[in-house]
Amino acid sequence: MVNQEQILRYIQNIPPAPFIVKQTLDYVRVGDLTKAAKCAEEDPALKFYLKTLVNRPIYGFRNEVSDLAQIFTILGISTAQQILYNYLLTLLAPKNWGLFHLKTQQFYDLQASLSRKWVKILSHLGLLTHDTESAITLLPASIIVCDALFGEYKSEVEQLRSVKALDYNTILYRLTKMSLFDICTEIGQKWELPPAISRIVHASSGLDQEVDEKEKTLAKWMHLLLFYELSQNAYVEAGLNEFIEFQIEFVQDIYESFMQVVEYDESDR
Amino acid sequence: MRATVKGRIAIFHPQGFLDGNNAPSFLTIDDIKATEALNIDMLLVSLKKVIFFNKNGLDVFIRLLDSIRSHKHIAVGLCDYDSAKFATINKFYGSTLTFSLFRTEKIAELFVPSNKNDSKTVLLYNEDASQRSAMAIELFDYGHNPVIAQSKKEFEEKKQNPDLYYAIIEETYLGLFGQKIATRVTGNAIIYTIANFLDAEITDTFNIAYHNNSLNVGFRLFIFDAYKVVSMNVHALNFFTKLASSAAEYNASICFVGLTFEKTPITFKNDLEDAGIMFFDQMEDILKNKELLQELGGSSATSSKHTRTLTKALIQELPGFIDATVSTIAMMTNAQALKEAMNIQTLEIKNPQNQYASSIGFYGDLDGMIILIFPKDIAKKACELLIGEENEDEEVILDSLAEFVNIIGGRAKALLGEKKHRVDITLPRTYANVDSLLEMAQHKKGVQVDLRFEGSNFIFFLTR
Repeated sequence: MVNQEQILRYIQNIPPAPFIVKQTLDYVRVGDLTKAAKCAEEDPALKFYLKTLVNRPIYGFRNEVSDLAQIFTILGISTAQQILYNYLLTLLAPKNWGLFHLKTQQFYDLQASLSRKWVKILSHLGLLTHDTESAITLLPASIIVCDALFGEYKSEVEQLRSVKALDYNTILYRLTKMSLFDICTEIGQKWELPPAISRIVHASSGLDQEVDEKEKTLAKWMHLLLFYELSQNAYVEAGLNEFIEFQIEFVQDIYESFMQVVEYDESDR
Repeated sequence: MRATVKGRIAIFHPQGFLDGNNAPSFLTIDDIKATEALNIDMLLVSLKKVIFFNKNGLDVFIRLLDSIRSHKHIAVGLCDYDSAKFATINKFYGSTLTFSLFRTEKIAELFVPSNKNDSKTVLLYNEDASQRSAMAIELFDYGHNPVIAQSKKEFEEKKQNPDLYYAIIEETYLGLFGQKIATRVTGNAIIYTIANFLDAEITDTFNIAYHNNSLNVGFRLFIFDAYKVVSMNVHALNFFTKLASSAAEYNASICFVGLTFEKTPITFKNDLEDAGIMFFDQMEDILKNKELLQELGGSSATSSKHTRTLTKALIQELPGFIDATVSTIAMMTNAQALKEAMNIQTLEIKNPQNQYASSIGFYGDLDGMIILIFPKDIAKKACELLIGEENEDEEVILDSLAEFVNIIGGRAKALLGEKKHRVDITLPRTYANVDSLLEMAQHKKGVQVDLRFEGSNFIFFLTR
């Protein structure tokens, strides 16, 4: 099964952030969206990603938006930064998922849906900043890592799970003393993400003991948001509902507010 | 989503939100088929990790539970909920509740047969007197000792001393129960409780799979507690006659205790005696008579008059069984177990102290039993993935060892299946000390393989 060498190999093979993406991010961070758009033009894959993403129904634009300068202006600094991080993550995502029955487009939709709802949550909490908004982008890395590490051990995990309801994160930690969220932190470091992002995502496992109050609040909301999304049909069918353990006590006190923020309507369910 | 099987209970563990939109996604057609094929006595849905559910969502699971209960005669229900969830479930289903509710998985386990010989003292309260009685009877029939609180006040008082009880049963409800015959283990004897009028229905209510399991893992004495039987007809007679014939193949004994023949033809008694079934007036006549117990096979299996020999077909499959064991250890620990020696012999344990043992049987096209004997620290290491770090609780370690051999049994079954040998596996059995295993297995001839893992030896033994 998965061992430490395999994890180290995986971490070593995480590609650094491409130069153009890094430079675009630098321009975004200092608020120069025009230069950012110009820079992004040089990477056709990035350009295609941004155009496709912004024109998905979830962003709600009536007419197609194709000009990068226009896209960056529409997005604004925070969202542009968030989307660039999302793009970085797609570079890590597999073309064919091995463990989860997930299609590339479904993964993009998950990223987009998490990002949109996260902004709502941050606004509700009054904690919306460039970095907090981007924090959510690293979360789906845990899914990518899980698929990469366990893809070849699918039948072994099924056998284990036939006798005990163990989630992938617990299995990984017990075998290697590293969690999926530890590996996310490594990814964050490699891509030079602000350390606060990695800390919040790590705490969103619901298992960290020492976390400062603000980050703990964000981690709770992130944990519940993740399970809200992973309870959607497509992700349940993909097998994502079982990938980490839902820490129900961790989020119990925010549950009522969460349902209001995501506007959960029970009447049509 | 697949159910997790522990002993005779299978449990679904959905997480997050459960509503009418997403609930069907938890159960694919393959999941439903796999659940229907399980050899279990109880099927439950755990709400432990569900933060929100509505009736539409629960109904999807309830429909599956109802369908499986109706054709497999097993108990079904929900478990692992808090008071708020219990109130919500009652609000949804109220008086139409047909399935059971068990506040915890631990409580549910008290209502199914197991291989364990341990009577648990439990505190029980339900404001509905008929529920209280039904639960008390079931618990008693499964060999437990229910302390029944007759009022809420008495319950609250008794609850102040939780250490006195293995479990405190409240907010629990027995729906249409599995109607299976209750089963308990006493020493090396299995006791089935039968009641009322026995007719053709006994073929449905008697758990033949569990009975076969018990025969295969070495139980040799089966007692029918028949104090509450009024009468039986010819179909029930035929059933018991057949059961006695199959038990004879294993040199096992079947006894009836407390059966009167006021309303049952006395000729039935003769027929049953001819089939090898014995009759006793009181349970103590057997259980308190050590000599008789030994003669009947209830003190150990060593009293068997003959041992079953290994077959060529079984030995041919030996590499597969060893591979299943070695690969399971590799999977659970990321360490290799190496084969050191292999002999056909009776079981020989050089240092029986400080060892745990576990066994699992299989039957069908091939039959036999795999026994594993580990030094305690190695057993803990092998099960670390299942129990987490540094767990010293012996019961937890033994439970995990049972899960461990269950995986090995599952792998062996799959390997045999690839060669077109259809077999079923029994419930695993664990031994906190090797002496009780030796009572059952020391005269059996088998293949003993000494394996080395993490610097210590452990034993793999394949026998019949």
